Amino acid sequence: MLRQISVISRWELRRTLGTMGRGVLPAAIILFVLLILASGFAASSGVHLQDGIYRLGTDNQEAGQMIATDSRFTVFTDDGASLWENREFFDIIILGSEVYVHDDEKGRAALGALSLVYESYTSLINAEEPDLYAAYPLWIDRRYEKSLLDFTATQAGQRISPVPEERAPVPERPVVPVATPDVTIPYEPDQLRAEISRSAVQDDQIRRYTQTLGFESETGTFRTPAQLAPPLPFDSIILIFVFIFPLYFTSQFFMMSIMNERIERRGEILLSTPYRPSAIILGKALPYFLLMLAISGLIILISSLPPIIILPLIPVILFFLAAALVIGMLARSFKELSFLSIFFSTVATSYLFFPSIFANVHVIALVSPLTLIVLEIQGDAFTLADYIYSTALFYLTSAILLYAGVVNFNEERLFSFHHLIPRTIEFITAGISTKYTLPSLFSLGALVIPFVFMVQLMGLVFVFNLPMPLSLLLLIGFAAATEEIAKSIGIYALAKILPGGLGWRHVIFGSGATALGFLAGEKLLLFATIAQVTESVFGSILFLSLELLWMPFLLHAVCLGVVAIALKAGGLRMYIPGICCATVIHAIYNLAVIGVIP
Amino acid sequence: MKSRNIGIIARKELSGIYAEKTIVFAILLQLFIALFSSFLMIGLTSMYDPDALAGYQGVEYGIGYVGEEGDLSRIIDDRRDLALYNLDLDSAIALLKERQLSAVIWVPEIPPDDPGPVIVTLYTLQNDIQAAVVEVKMKEAFLVYEEELRSVRSNRLIMNPIQLNFPDTGGRSNYYEFVFGLLIPLLVFMPAIISAALIIDLITEEYQSKTLETLLSTTVTYGEMIWGKILACILIVPVQSAAWLALLWINGIAVQNPVQMLLHVIAGSMVLILIGALVALHYRERTSAQFVFSTAIVVVIIFIMSVPYNPLNLLVRLAVGTIGSLHWLILAGVVAVAVLLSVLLNRYAAYVSTLPLREG
Repeated sequence: MLRQISVISRWELRRTLGTMGRGVLPAAIILFVLLILASGFAASSGVHLQDGIYRLGTDNQEAGQMIATDSRFTVFTDDGASLWENREFFDIIILGSEVYVHDDEKGRAALGALSLVYESYTSLINAEEPDLYAAYPLWIDRRYEKSLLDFTATQAGQRISPVPEERAPVPERPVVPVATPDVTIPYEPDQLRAEISRSAVQDDQIRRYTQTLGFESETGTFRTPAQLAPPLPFDSIILIFVFIFPLYFTSQFFMMSIMNERIERRGEILLSTPYRPSAIILGKALPYFLLMLAISGLIILISSLPPIIILPLIPVILFFLAAALVIGMLARSFKELSFLSIFFSTVATSYLFFPSIFANVHVIALVSPLTLIVLEIQGDAFTLADYIYSTALFYLTSAILLYAGVVNFNEERLFSFHHLIPRTIEFITAGISTKYTLPSLFSLGALVIPFVFMVQLMGLVFVFNLPMPLSLLLLIGFAAATEEIAKSIGIYALAKILPGGLGWRHVIFGSGATALGFLAGEKLLLFATIAQVTESVFGSILFLSLELLWMPFLLHAVCLGVVAIALKAGGLRMYIPGICCATVIHAIYNLAVIGVIP
Repeated sequence: MKSRNIGIIARKELSGIYAEKTIVFAILLQLFIALFSSFLMIGLTSMYDPDALAGYQGVEYGIGYVGEEGDLSRIIDDRRDLALYNLDLDSAIALLKERQLSAVIWVPEIPPDDPGPVIVTLYTLQNDIQAAVVEVKMKEAFLVYEEELRSVRSNRLIMNPIQLNFPDTGGRSNYYEFVFGLLIPLLVFMPAIISAALIIDLITEEYQSKTLETLLSTTVTYGEMIWGKILACILIVPVQSAAWLALLWINGIAVQNPVQMLLHVIAGSMVLILIGALVALHYRERTSAQFVFSTAIVVVIIFIMSVPYNPLNLLVRLAVGTIGSLHWLILAGVVAVAVLLSVLLNRYAAYVSTLPLREG
């Protein structure tokens, strides 16, 4: 097996280099040089996307010059009377030192921008004061404490502290002595000055992003009040650009290599060899896997980041490759390949990116492996439990996708060009044996679990910002629909491949077996990984209660039964109405579980 | 070149796009991005500008105060959203950890006119959404206190910055800049990039699936084939962009010059599509063509963005209505580039069509 893999790998490598090497390498080198030049140009000239969106009129020449340093403002200097006459034309007018704002959304935005410009201007001036502590009299020593309560209580920013009363609250647990903080700043005034000047211009877009990597404040935990700010939201986007895009890019070559095997049945040569499909796929994927590892390693080395962050990247690499394999096998034409892969990459990127925004704010952030990288870069080492929590789903889904690819890597599937959805169903039917229907439905039910979790966690990330009752309702509907669709795929595929349609035996026992598999997979994965989320209110909707196993089993089985009966009675076109019915039942059950419906 | 044949090819490609439901994916993709943006707007503005979310107003957060009462305790106590408790440090921290308090400050006794700094230690909870909100509120209190201290020590200051007095209106919108300065150009220009990637697929597929021979055995010429595909790609651009503008309008975000914006998008996408077509003709193989094109597009976009008055900036300025007739001049420039590229493409296509279809 290992020998087979290495033979295929070497063959793949030779062929790719052969087709790519001739024309692409020189172009790639030229483009790379151009890219460096363009980035250099962009860094020196700045990003001119929001140039001139505000109009500002002033009779104060000095102020005008100061504001004109920000390219968002187009500054008009004129005498006060004529400015006032044309005040509809301007978003902001400054007469002397008085600021007047046009009263609309845009005027308020301009005011916000102006006050930031002014703040950074005064900071730069004040940092030059000989008596620094007269200009900056107040310094805040920023300390963080770890909460004794966990995530379950604070979701959605919901308030759990009791409403403050007249009397001071009393600690419920034993009080531990805390060291009194120092009353001196362990930095020289010049260090503080440098930090103030630096943070005054920090808002500059590009610089803010480039600072994310390996940047720390020069003055430790000490800040002026103006420097106090919760962590910036968009910083982890730089990680997407630095790590995820190159990985996605490389996975495209693998996708294309799979697609190329299918064009004009070129892959027949490979299939006619005595090599097993798993060896062919692994062998073809291996060079790309190693290349992606090398790229990540190189990036880490260049930006001198902690080497351990390669660990959270491995499941991401595997996930991209597995998805590339399946997309390459599913697509009918190049444009379908493009759209599927762009769509996939957007979804995957958002799954990686959005939770990591909350790296410092919320435990839900750990859904994404990127959060581990953000934490590690900040100097908070992640634990093994964190690692398992945020990567288990990636490992599992990659494995299942790879398995689906291997099972379907045969002549019949590779060289057929059906429509997308029937093809997807075909892929799934490969996992169902008509002989051992029930065991295969059971395992299919268990195998869809990681995907369901991923989709549901994505939903959780989306809704957890909405106000409380609305977010719960949305999540209930979304979770129920996802589960019903995922569960019933097996039954649907069965109804499709069985010559006589579903029999009553299939309806009853098939639903039971799938429900059992689904439940088993769900509980297994839950115990292994995401206990933190499951204990919350949201978790109880997503993953049902852990104590009473027969209740959720009954629910899953009944919902599946509804779909199966719909399929039996009305054929395949009754599938969607069946799903809708099952979703409603599921949602009502969930509402009852959390006590909304008694 | 017969326009009828071009039309036939364009229709063939459009119906292919329709039949394969790829356009459905394109729309899903863009909807997904829109979903992000709403997520970003609600989630992030509320977190980083807590006043933006009405739900946070009217709520009082408990603050533990350790130290002698003074100006700072008065400032915090005067705020309606912060409740102050005098405590000792140990029990204050214990209460913070139990979440009975939202923040703790430790204030040493330093006179306001002291030559050195006044140092205040602020304790909040790590990884906590409420701590982020409280930190912003505490920052406001600290800024007031800092201003008081600064005026006590003002006789020690010598620099004279320009004075600006801001009006006392509460709202400062940070969502306007995000929507008009980032989201709108992104959404409106996305179809152009999608179309440019599409032209590569359409052209290379004819070569790699060996369907070109059949196509050219009809009355359709090579040039007509290329221009038919380009036409199909360009036609779907304004439809998608206009749909975005309409959707934004329904959501209460009205841009100022939609027609001019669409013209800019069409001209810009024409340039991108022509570059894509040239790359596709050169390689006639998808992997290489897409690789080179996507790298090239990154270079082009980075370069374009760092030039003042670039087309993307014009989209923003048109949307907010701060550009005069100058944009017509730049539009003419972009169209001129497109015409130049078209001539180049025609020459190159004439050369490529003479090459044998099968290599090696």
